[in-house]
Amino acid sequence: MRAGIAILTVVAFASVPLWLRDPYLMNALITTGIFIVGAMSLNLLLGFTGQLSLGHIAFFGIGAYVSALTSLGFDAGLPFGFRMVHEPWPPIIGFVLAIIIAGFCGYLVGLLSFRVRGAYFVIVTISFAEVVRLVALNWVELTQGPLALTNIPSITIGLPGLGDLTLRTKLQNYYLVLSVAVIAYVLISRLVHSHFGRAMRGLMENETLAVSVGIDVTKTLTLAAVISAGIAGAAGSLYAHYIRIIDPEVFAFINTVTMVIMVITGGKGSLAGPVVGGMIFGLLPVFLRPIMAPEAQWIAYGGVLIVILFVLPRGIVRSLAQRFAKRRSRVETVAPVAFSKRDAAKEHA
Amino acid sequence: MTRTFGIVPAIALAAAFLGGAANAQTIKIGVNEPLTGAFAASGTYVVNGAKIAADEINAKGGILGKKIELVIEDNKSNPTEAAAVAEKLITSDKVPVLMGAWGSSLTLAVMPKLMEYEVPMVVETSSSGKITTTGNPFIFRISPPSAIEAAAFKGIVDKLELKKVDFLVINNDWGRGTAEDFSKMMKEKGITVGAVETMDQGAQDMSAQLSKLKGTDSETIIVTTAVDQLTLIFKQAAALGLKKRIITTGGSQNPDQIIAQAGAAANGTMHLTTFLPWFPDKTPNPEATNYFIAEWKKRGFDFAGCTESFRGYDGIRTAAAAIEKAGKAEPAAIKAALWDIRIKGLNGDIVFKKSGPEGKESGQSQPNVYLIEITDGKIGMKTL
Amino acid sequence: MSEFLQHLINMLVLGGTYALLGIGLTLIFGIMNVVNFTHGVLYTFGAYIMFIVVHQLGVNFFLALPLAVVAGWLLGAAIELILLRPLRGSDIDTTMLVMIGAWIAMQSGALWIWGGVAKSVTTPFPEAPLVLGPVSVSWLRLFVLAAAAMLIVVTYLLINRTKLGCAMRATFQDHDTASLMGVNVDMIYTSTFAIGSSLAAAAGALLGPVYVIFPQMGDLAAVKAFAIVILGGLGNITGAVIGGFILALAEELGAGYVSSGYRDAMGFLIIIAVLIFKPTGLFARSERVG
Repeated sequence: MRAGIAILTVVAFASVPLWLRDPYLMNALITTGIFIVGAMSLNLLLGFTGQLSLGHIAFFGIGAYVSALTSLGFDAGLPFGFRMVHEPWPPIIGFVLAIIIAGFCGYLVGLLSFRVRGAYFVIVTISFAEVVRLVALNWVELTQGPLALTNIPSITIGLPGLGDLTLRTKLQNYYLVLSVAVIAYVLISRLVHSHFGRAMRGLMENETLAVSVGIDVTKTLTLAAVISAGIAGAAGSLYAHYIRIIDPEVFAFINTVTMVIMVITGGKGSLAGPVVGGMIFGLLPVFLRPIMAPEAQWIAYGGVLIVILFVLPRGIVRSLAQRFAKRRSRVETVAPVAFSKRDAAKEHA
Repeated sequence: MTRTFGIVPAIALAAAFLGGAANAQTIKIGVNEPLTGAFAASGTYVVNGAKIAADEINAKGGILGKKIELVIEDNKSNPTEAAAVAEKLITSDKVPVLMGAWGSSLTLAVMPKLMEYEVPMVVETSSSGKITTTGNPFIFRISPPSAIEAAAFKGIVDKLELKKVDFLVINNDWGRGTAEDFSKMMKEKGITVGAVETMDQGAQDMSAQLSKLKGTDSETIIVTTAVDQLTLIFKQAAALGLKKRIITTGGSQNPDQIIAQAGAAANGTMHLTTFLPWFPDKTPNPEATNYFIAEWKKRGFDFAGCTESFRGYDGIRTAAAAIEKAGKAEPAAIKAALWDIRIKGLNGDIVFKKSGPEGKESGQSQPNVYLIEITDGKIGMKTL
Repeated sequence: MSEFLQHLINMLVLGGTYALLGIGLTLIFGIMNVVNFTHGVLYTFGAYIMFIVVHQLGVNFFLALPLAVVAGWLLGAAIELILLRPLRGSDIDTTMLVMIGAWIAMQSGALWIWGGVAKSVTTPFPEAPLVLGPVSVSWLRLFVLAAAAMLIVVTYLLINRTKLGCAMRATFQDHDTASLMGVNVDMIYTSTFAIGSSLAAAAGALLGPVYVIFPQMGDLAAVKAFAIVILGGLGNITGAVIGGFILALAEELGAGYVSSGYRDAMGFLIIIAVLIFKPTGLFARSERVG
């Protein structure tokens, strides 16, 4: 049933360019799609591991900058008179590097989470994002600072026997983003339904109990952070090569907040949550623009976040799912995990 | 079934008719300016000046029989947003010509979009040399690049007897470009260039840089940034007891505001401006200047904003003249027409000369540059 | 050397206001365990109140200050009653996210009402600075330092010498026991949030006229407040005061001798460094309020 809905949704999305011609709306869909990938990755940490990482945009931005710099080349000075020189490489390599380096940063954040938890973890992650932003802003030789990295090349895919395909048009980028989103969704879905997924959720539900059955806290949190950051980095890379200009404002805290609103409204801890939340908050600004000033919109978004937290704390998707479940009186499967000693023994071995 | 069948096409027809009719009645000009963020004050002045031009043109019957409509969007003083705004104006609002984007970094970010969609833009304020030298044939600039400012300043430099000069510039294309162009010019004249301090466009506290500059042995500091930061710099310089000669460049100074805020600390400071709202008779077009200033005051805007808003006024008039000349509101025609126009701007004639690499030249007009000085809380032309 | 002395003077002035920001947040964070994302908005609010009161209502500058503090107190109490009280008992994530929602809504509200162009507040002080040998300091900044110092002393006395303060300290140590002892914990929470918010508003009202006022000014202030709280230890007023001066010193020296661009990074770097190496703050022993 669930797989059926998922496939239908993908087909529906894939058919959009066939009837939607407006380039402005296509642009909105593409950037929304990119942010949905980011939101899905945040959901992994926020919804499935219970870590409120509010510096998530750092991974996205790092991915964007790494990918852009890889494909543009750079020449920057290091202390003690060394110079870092890099010739431009194909953007597709930038994409891969973005995932790797962002993932590595996720590893560092994961390590940190072992030392500081709860509110302090939140503050540290915010600070991390801000420091990265200030570095991007001030290390002008490398990142161009406020002048922005411009003329970033589009992604080129080498098709065997057909030559190179440069993804320049909106149509091509739409399918690229859709493909990456689907891959990310499947990846996260498999992860969540695996042993590792149960370890993550066990940690979130009751850490002491999870530890007592042998779950390695650091390893689980770190691995979750790495994967989450890697996916965010991939989204960042797509962003860089689509809009083709990146400046340090990409690290602004408001972008993390946007992803948080998408995840919470859609429903943290549910796979479809970020997609639903992303569609709403990615497209709403576009449709509201003619009637509501952006500032007024943000007042509304803040209000919506508060209202959702009060009224539908599990988010739209899970509340709806609950309704349906009640109607068909079926047990919902994304419920708290019941640990059996056998599972625990398997983890150990 | 038949009922819904009937309604849907009827609504569609009506919508198309109304929408189409609405479109046919106005000619849109896109305005891409910073209304929030570090350059909000300047951007707002420019937009208000633009509105005066639009209203004046519409009062006289519009162009080609239609009214012009300014589609104004906020680029938030941010390059990525400037590019996004340009995309929206071109693809969604379908404007055939734009004006923008105030700051050099913002304009540079918009330029690839202009190339992609082949829509021309009148650049009203940006001063980075890069804008007209990188081969973008859709750019038509009416403000002077910092190289021209530097050249105009060359004549003044000897008379002021500058020996050693420090720079305090905003950390972007505009500030750095100015520091480069002016340094080059000064070195040719044998003047020593000392420290080049930068400040982030959002910085509020420049006392660290100012403390450092207070301690150097230069006798002059050249400052380039937008009016918001200039206000802070003068206040903080006064608080630190900084007594050096200060000359501001960039055309976004606001001497009236500086006098109001910094009081006595503003005395003795000099400013390289591109407009003289205080002496309309000394401008190339006194009648137009008087009209503009009167209209500005009538709308209750701060007089201090004239030093920047005139560009919005001239920019829209330039775009309108090109549309008129082209005979239709289409990008390619307007672009061709921009090369042919010659209008009397508030700061000199606006006529575009080729600038940049062959085959892809941008248009650059040559405005005048003036040096003013603040003495005893009053603004005067610097007599040399 | 004179440059160093100048930095030192700048540091003293800035440190006072930072201390105010930090004290406000450490009280809220310490007693209520709420990650108060609206602290920066209260700072901004205090600054805008100064602008409105002085420029649009024509009230005397010195009278406007207490008005700003009271306005901050009221807004803080309102936020606590409307948003936090109903969530009492929820997990920290939910309260944090609600605070974020409130922050976004309020900051956008400020942008909507007052626009993005920065505002200045004219002050009754002369522009010519007080010159003490090689260093100068403006009268306005001296006043700011004096006012901040006074507010810090008042807060300290409030916490340590009054019944309310005693109740707050008791709630900080153990709120169940405090409630058993007859303390109205609900009221304490509201008072704490209100007092903390009024201090943030005071900091904004004092620094607003020194710089310029714009809707996003509170963002940086909020982070600095968190840095100070973490430096000084949760709930520790003395720690917050010292932390405020340490942050100001790091900023001045960092901006003056390392790189002016990284000035605002100092706060963040401090947060990260302290949380990695000494998570309980530099003054770990005194972990009590007051």
